[in-house]
Amino acid sequence: MLKPLSSRHWNYDTAAHLLNRAGFGGPPAEIAALAALTPEAAVAQLVDYEDIPDNTPPPGWAKPNAEEMRRYQQAYKAAAPEEQLRLRREMFRTQYQQIVELRGWWLNRMRHGPRPLQEKVVLFWHGHFATSFDKVRNPYFMWRQNEVFRRLATGNWLLLLTAVGKDPAMLLWLDQAKSVRQHPNENFAREVMELFALGEGHYTEHDITEAARALTGWSLDYQTQDFMFRPYVHDAGDNTIFGQTGNFNGDDFMELIIAHPQSARFITGKLWEFFAGDPPSPKLNDALADVFRGAGNNFKPLLHTLFRSEEFYDAAVVRNQVKSPVQWLVGTARLLECELPPPVVSASLTRSLGQDLFAPPNVKGWDGGMSWITTNTLLARYNDAATLLTGSIDSMSAQDFAVGNGGQGGEMVKHFAERATRFRVGGVNAAKIVPPADRTDKDKLVAALEHRLLQTRLKPDKEKALRDFLAPKQQLTDADIVTALRLIMSTPEYQTA
Amino acid sequence: MKNEIHLHTRREFLRTTMLGGALSWTVPVFLADTFSALNADARDSATQTVTGRDGTILVVLQMAGGNDGLNTVVPYANDDYHRARPRLGLSAADVLKLDGNIGLHRSLKGFKSLYDAGQLSVVQGVGYPNPNRSHFRSTEIWATASDAEQVEKYGWIGRYFDSNCAGADPTVGVTIGRQLPQAFWSNSGKGICFDNPANYRFQSGAHPRPGQPDRMEESYKKLNDVEMAGTDDNSGGSIGMLAGAKPMHGGRAVDFIERTALDAQVSSDEVRAIANRVPSTANYPSSQLGGALKLVARLIAGGLPTRIYYASQGGYDTHTNQLATQERLLTDLGDSMKAFTDDLKAQGNLSRVLIMTFSEFGRRVAENANGGTDHGAAAPMFIVGERVKAGLLGTQPSLASADLFQGDIKFTTDFRSVYAGVLEHWLKTKSAPILGREFTPLPVV
Repeated sequence: MLKPLSSRHWNYDTAAHLLNRAGFGGPPAEIAALAALTPEAAVAQLVDYEDIPDNTPPPGWAKPNAEEMRRYQQAYKAAAPEEQLRLRREMFRTQYQQIVELRGWWLNRMRHGPRPLQEKVVLFWHGHFATSFDKVRNPYFMWRQNEVFRRLATGNWLLLLTAVGKDPAMLLWLDQAKSVRQHPNENFAREVMELFALGEGHYTEHDITEAARALTGWSLDYQTQDFMFRPYVHDAGDNTIFGQTGNFNGDDFMELIIAHPQSARFITGKLWEFFAGDPPSPKLNDALADVFRGAGNNFKPLLHTLFRSEEFYDAAVVRNQVKSPVQWLVGTARLLECELPPPVVSASLTRSLGQDLFAPPNVKGWDGGMSWITTNTLLARYNDAATLLTGSIDSMSAQDFAVGNGGQGGEMVKHFAERATRFRVGGVNAAKIVPPADRTDKDKLVAALEHRLLQTRLKPDKEKALRDFLAPKQQLTDADIVTALRLIMSTPEYQTA
Repeated sequence: MKNEIHLHTRREFLRTTMLGGALSWTVPVFLADTFSALNADARDSATQTVTGRDGTILVVLQMAGGNDGLNTVVPYANDDYHRARPRLGLSAADVLKLDGNIGLHRSLKGFKSLYDAGQLSVVQGVGYPNPNRSHFRSTEIWATASDAEQVEKYGWIGRYFDSNCAGADPTVGVTIGRQLPQAFWSNSGKGICFDNPANYRFQSGAHPRPGQPDRMEESYKKLNDVEMAGTDDNSGGSIGMLAGAKPMHGGRAVDFIERTALDAQVSSDEVRAIANRVPSTANYPSSQLGGALKLVARLIAGGLPTRIYYASQGGYDTHTNQLATQERLLTDLGDSMKAFTDDLKAQGNLSRVLIMTFSEFGRRVAENANGGTDHGAAAPMFIVGERVKAGLLGTQPSLASADLFQGDIKFTTDFRSVYAGVLEHWLKTKSAPILGREFTPLPVV
């Protein structure tokens, strides 16, 4: 189990697989550079990213906004009903603009950031701790949580779990901030065991009740917008969790979870599934959990082992994962060396394909895998490919913008989208992908396009369909290249990596 | 050709499994072999399966956000009700009376006329034990028909597809919307979704001259052709593909996507053909819901073999300013429903169609301080059709404060009894295998 892949098997294809999964894929030159290294050096380049400077500045508004919120609340209280409505709309509009900007900010960081694995792991944690702006309503808190994921992305499990538990967005999302001794709210206590750290069947309802008592007092200070422990709402009595009795508080509870025999299996199984596509076999899961435990519950050594393992390069793993909408969008821009569309368009694209960043459907996160693909989302991917390639939203339906934003939200998105079309960004530079000189031999051309987009060949019949399409054209224009790219993106094969 | 089987057999295969017969597809031998093994079962069940072309049809209508049941089916003569809702309470003058105690919200004129015609049943106090007040969790419970403490993946409608619709066309279930609702999630991967037939297609962006083929679209079809999947190295996943299985884990992802691509292509052609062929002259409200129901009526008229349609209307989460918002939504609901039933009647299809509404929960009995109501529990469901057991069904729950649970109405009818009634009496199938255990079927028709 988990034997390192031999250097003999390290080549362009394995390097491409690593970059697809540990990052968001890349153009041929990037893959070739990775393939030129040894497997351990290639993995280290992605996993040991601390030495690579990442100076991405935060969005301008991403700073504490307690004073602003307080002023708003005062004005709101003092206002007449009609004025209140106006104030609410204005607040809604600002928050909406900011969350769209945040989506664009993060997507661009995935697109251009110098640490692809870090962003990929942040995406994993976002789906894992699935916190939604729909309830939190504060873009600053959403950004802050994203930064917690980034700072502790590949660090220690206890530190991360505790930091997330004390994170303002999470305190609001699962109601921990409202939990008091008299009425302990069990929401966070339950989800931390069920969804974040252990899985069903490894705790009892009694553990939940007791953990909820231990967690009382974990709260949010609205003045500082930071975690605050409120001793007077904390239940200071003894509690029994996982069969152990003591005077436990929230931090103790976190330690009990991490010490639980199931915790390493649970989180390493989730990570394997995220990176490899399917849940690990029980044996493989045990092996991953052993590595993780042996490394003091730190993620970085686990990721080294995982990305170097023979199992990760198994034929059942390679090119057998459905791209998430984010992977599809960011990956396409990276493969084609083009820019993402403006934030409002990018955000609408991933949302209409089923992945609204900062708004997962529920606390379980996105189901992922095959569930990304429905008849509707598949056709939408095929049509949205045109949007990415041309940089024009003409082929996007107006409804793409309104989805998931019932009522005023939908109107607003449409408005922003219309504004955004005035600054057209993105679109592929066909001459960069295939210089005119390389367009005469159509067999070679088709092979080159497949190589770039799929890193493999289509089945012969499909390849023929592509060549037949190009055959009647004498001199291939940029538009023809774009059309060919669109056709390759409109295949089942392109939806996997 | 060695690689192909006889046209007659291929047609048979396509018709009895998933595609509908009109297309001249060719099928590689390995597919045909697999098919023969599966076909005996598939063909039998396919010929026996009732389809939406001539059999009964169910339309499920989700009122998303948690509709305030108390201000929809209003106990206007109840003192507890008015005590709990000094600002929001509706008086006798604000309702369309059904009897001396109960009336419909005045904006539900469409429902009142259905009620008077004996085509509406109101199931009162529907809910489930240990109600959950989270939108998504409660929606999930309604979608999967699970107990509140139990998490299920597949939906109750999906389980119906799995157990009753082997060998059926993928359009056996149609959702008007972007995403497949969880109620549709199934092991067999049946059911399609789209929101606009005009967009439910590959948009080539090419503008061929009249009479000229769209070469780009032709190429797209070839690139998504199941035959083009070739015969090498994918036989494992393809068995699942033929059976319609949607392997959530294991199998080649690309096989599953190929099958979905085929479903998309075929249903896109079917749906657009019907949309082009069947005009809609009926008048519907110009709302999203009106548009969705109008589309459903056209698809029914066009003979799509769909047994279950799913549409939804959002916006019911009325924490603030409830009166105006709910009035607007219910007007839309009642008028759209009336237009839909009139349309179906004119088509001659109304007797085959049953419409059922639900919302993930009702709202708190007491109004809040913002002119709205917060998340609650039990609420009424509406069932519409020519053959419904018309009138008020079930028991109106008591609003006396001693009878409430944490300020919420206690349910008097389990929603799964309503599902059981629809499954047993309308779709004519055993409900226990689908709902996980026996629920007393509510006699809805």
